[in-house]
Amino acid sequence: MMAPEGGPKLLRANGVGKRFGSIEALRPTNFSVEAGEVRGLVGSNGAGKSTLIKVLTGAYRPTTGEILLNNEVMQLGDPHTMLRQGIACIYQHSSLVSSLSVLDNIFLGRQPITRFGLVDSRRQQLEAESLIAEYRIEVDPSAKVGLLSTVKQKEVEILKALALRARLIFMDEPTAWLSHSEVQKLHRTIMDLKTKNVGIVYVSHVLDEVFRVCDSVSIMRDGAIVWEGAIADIDRPKLVNIMVGEKLGRASLEAGAQVRRPRGTGEIRLSCRALGRKNVFYDVSFDLYAGEILCITGLVGAKRSDVVHSIFGSAPLDEGYIEMSGRKIRFRSPKEAISNGFGLVPEDRRRDGLLSAHSISDNLVLVVLEKVSRFGVLDRAARRRLAARQMDSLAIVPRNPSAVVSGLSGGNQQKVLIGKWLEAAPSVLVLDEPTVGIDVGAKAEIYAKLRAIRDAGQAVLIISSDLEEVMTISDRIAIMVNGRLEAIHDAGAANREKILAEIGGD
Amino acid sequence: MLRRFPGFALLCLFVVLFALFSVFSRRFLSAANIEDILSGYSFMAILAIGQAFPIIARGVDLSVGSNVGLGAMVLFDLNMIFGLPGYAAIPMAIAVCALAGTLNGLLVTLLKLQPFVATLATLAAYRGGVYAISGRQLYPELATQSIRDPWIRSLDAYVDVGRWIGLARLVKLPSLPLSFIVLVVVAFAAQTVLSRTRFGLDLKTVGGNPEAAHLAGISVNRVQVAAYTLSGLCAGLVAVVLVARFTTATEATGTGMELPTIAAAVIGGASLQGGVGNALGPILGAFLLGITLVGLTLIGVSQFTQQILTGLILLGAVWYDRATWDRQQAAAARNG
Amino acid sequence: MAERLSNLSRAKQLIPSAFALPFSLFFVAGIFAMLKPAFMSVDNVVGIVHRMATVGIMAEGMTFVIMTGGIDLSVGPVLAIAGLVSFFILQYGAPVFVAVLGGVGTGAVIGAINGAAIAFFKLPAIIVTLATLSIVRGSALIVGGPILHQLPGGLAYSFIGTGFVLSVPFSIWLFAGVVTVMALLQTQTTFGLQVAAIGDNQRASFLSGRPVRSVKLATYIICGSTAALAGIIQSSQVYTASATFGEFGTELDVIAAVVLGGTNLQGGKGSVLRTVIGVLFLGVISSGLNILNVPVDAQLIAKGLIIVVALSLGARAETSE
Repeated sequence: MMAPEGGPKLLRANGVGKRFGSIEALRPTNFSVEAGEVRGLVGSNGAGKSTLIKVLTGAYRPTTGEILLNNEVMQLGDPHTMLRQGIACIYQHSSLVSSLSVLDNIFLGRQPITRFGLVDSRRQQLEAESLIAEYRIEVDPSAKVGLLSTVKQKEVEILKALALRARLIFMDEPTAWLSHSEVQKLHRTIMDLKTKNVGIVYVSHVLDEVFRVCDSVSIMRDGAIVWEGAIADIDRPKLVNIMVGEKLGRASLEAGAQVRRPRGTGEIRLSCRALGRKNVFYDVSFDLYAGEILCITGLVGAKRSDVVHSIFGSAPLDEGYIEMSGRKIRFRSPKEAISNGFGLVPEDRRRDGLLSAHSISDNLVLVVLEKVSRFGVLDRAARRRLAARQMDSLAIVPRNPSAVVSGLSGGNQQKVLIGKWLEAAPSVLVLDEPTVGIDVGAKAEIYAKLRAIRDAGQAVLIISSDLEEVMTISDRIAIMVNGRLEAIHDAGAANREKILAEIGGD
Repeated sequence: MLRRFPGFALLCLFVVLFALFSVFSRRFLSAANIEDILSGYSFMAILAIGQAFPIIARGVDLSVGSNVGLGAMVLFDLNMIFGLPGYAAIPMAIAVCALAGTLNGLLVTLLKLQPFVATLATLAAYRGGVYAISGRQLYPELATQSIRDPWIRSLDAYVDVGRWIGLARLVKLPSLPLSFIVLVVVAFAAQTVLSRTRFGLDLKTVGGNPEAAHLAGISVNRVQVAAYTLSGLCAGLVAVVLVARFTTATEATGTGMELPTIAAAVIGGASLQGGVGNALGPILGAFLLGITLVGLTLIGVSQFTQQILTGLILLGAVWYDRATWDRQQAAAARNG
Repeated sequence: MAERLSNLSRAKQLIPSAFALPFSLFFVAGIFAMLKPAFMSVDNVVGIVHRMATVGIMAEGMTFVIMTGGIDLSVGPVLAIAGLVSFFILQYGAPVFVAVLGGVGTGAVIGAINGAAIAFFKLPAIIVTLATLSIVRGSALIVGGPILHQLPGGLAYSFIGTGFVLSVPFSIWLFAGVVTVMALLQTQTTFGLQVAAIGDNQRASFLSGRPVRSVKLATYIICGSTAALAGIIQSSQVYTASATFGEFGTELDVIAAVVLGGTNLQGGKGSVLRTVIGVLFLGVISSGLNILNVPVDAQLIAKGLIIVVALSLGARAETSE
């Protein structure tokens, strides 16, 4: 299944790198793909994967390096130009117009026209049919795209790229939202494209698929490609190990010294039974105890955040229910969840968590306005006391309640967010990726705080893709893969290799 | 659940209402009444078609009424003050309206103003312009005179279809006002543009998925400017038609037209979410409004109640549009 | 690091922009004063504020609506119908305060309808309020006809619009009162904090359990109520009530005042106190143009231009932050 060694390179990127100010998002990297090769591209969030893709597809202009397609130097920096030169990208979000037909979408922006300036639908039809026959992608040209299933829409996007004579197609998380049989179908299409010497870069976190459909794989970490080679030369655990780094060994040692409290005080605070949301996650069940920290880990795309938002009431829940204090319930809104003792520190603190133009104090009181007001009127003194309490307890810098939050460092912003929820004293506190983009010092402070509230009897649920973090702080570890909860282990007894393997979906 | 469904439902609603009014008022089905409806609402239909363009591009044009007033006053001034003959004044008036539309487009694309804000501002500005250039105020004696230009007056003609077809002896068919003929031409042209030209597809792309449009190399700005220019162009045509009918233009010409045109366009299937729409739906929407209001008048419902009903109809249309959109989104998510 | 930089540039912008508005106001006023010294007379200044009292009250109510990303185009007809309702109540013989309550109540109800359609049914604010504009105008015309109604000769009601307290027109006291209440609401209550929060980050507010829909509903109720109050003041000033009041252009004045006051039309930062400056600004411009004998039509053009320029400058300031 391997493309010929040393054959003509379809794509050759030499030393492409990208800097944003003083931040190097992508270190000067060489990346090459051969015609007919399916290259997997994997890496955690922040590994530089998306930067590399954006550079290669024209969304970013690289600060260094050049890109050659079929040995011709390419014009960079504009997706449309890259497309015209033969590199296409099928993004996660649709670049189709749902109200138009498949035919019109394939030729989007460049539909063939007749002498009178009208669209030449006959020529469109002919060209489309020959494409469909050549690449064996079955789709009805006159169908309205909005009515097609997701996998058919992906196929339309592929046809669109092929119609533009794309020689290299990037597929960014192509199987998100697809069912098992639809994934098979997509893979068959990819195999067909291979025989036509189209090069494919398959970007995915679903390692199963990477191992099944790719000829080779490039693993990224910390802004560079750290391993590249034939898929036959690597196995799943090794791949995951490389992806998440060797820091794990050190973390495991440190973690061994910590006191673990799996199942905490033995009192169940939250019970989840067979939670499901159509096409997203299935049959998720677990218990959360007072006085413990349960970490749900897995690769990006395991749909952990979706589970939590469904519990919280900010996203739909199709099946199952949760039980809190003996009541079976489904929260219909965050307001309801909060009044039942639930708290959620969201993953994206800028988009979902903070009021950037407001002060630390305003942010801290947002959930507990009733506590700092009487009959709707704000009690300044109470607010000052609350702000002081959290700023001290979390060591927020600057210790100025009027400081505008957008000016704080990432670590301090996260502390404000956590402080806001700690004030609400929820019986269940959920934190979604609590230390992403935070400096080491702040991380340590946050871990200490979380352990402290756990010791005081709080039930804590943490979603984390950072295995080092998970090994450091959890009492129990739950592993989700592709929308299913696969296993829960006691942290102390956890076997590192086993966890890696399970995360990878073995 | 095809989008064509609302069109079909619309047609059915139209037929039902028509039948209902015919039953409740004998005058309704008469040739004279049909002529009234046609001459009274053909121009509204033209405006609704024009409004469809910005709406498909995910915008809106609130300035159409003022634009019509502007064009009407320009025509009046050119003819009555400067003495330009109809065949010169008419194209110039239409051009002014089209340019006014272009200005709307530029405000939206260059200054990045939200469409409703930009066209709200020009709604004011253009109305101010009408007052500023008002020939009736500059030369008060003109206020009582009517336009006598043969070119313009001929536009108020009625085409006696009955005589042409030869059925006049059997049944009294309504004569078609020229505004209706203009409507038919505009509808044909607009429908061709929207469904058979690259520009029409680009317009739907820009409104339906601006990111995709950008990636496909479509100049989003140019498409938007064109959409507003077309809306202005239709306003210009309507201005001419109205001046012909009333043989004059007043400072108030066109006031209040924005609401019915938006209602007609939305009822006709131009979704406010963008990307969807055709030329025939707005026509149905406009005449739906038309027969409703005329029918109500014949039954004896007051003008003021009709104003209320127009607002309620717009609310209903917008609610239905939103509900359909939500339903489609939910279905797409489930569809996987 | 990058965040520290934005803090600096934010500080750089914050200081001048806080003064930019009053500065511009005095600058423009100064120009008018130079062109026509009569502009600066006490009489004229008082006249400006007097005339702007009604627009000012409406602009105060509109501020919260715009801060949460909405708009209310129906304030004109609400103004008219409130005056009518008060008139009918007075005619019935009820005391003045009942008439005032009835009028303001009418505005509140209409605001509630707007708010429900926009916040709970998620319909676009422009279209909804455009529709209610028509519905309310039609209702007013049905209830009161297109004629002017002479108010019954009672002194109490006319005091609202024409009375003086401490030689300052009562309507200005009312304006000041409304501003005070709104400012207190904005700075001292949880409601004000929630309005600002929704304007800053609606999703974060939602995820923090704030009742976003109810807060938005309340903003529309307030807007309707202030429009109604303005209608009562106006009808009291001219001793008549009519369904034709609050003619086209009213809502433009109100929006222009709010926008001039620096509130972002896309939702977000806003301040009822800065709206006052916007109102004064609008008043200065209107009055200045009047004194210079600029015809009404050109004023309309000017108002359109003002909105456009104010918005583009605001947009530019946003992107450079």
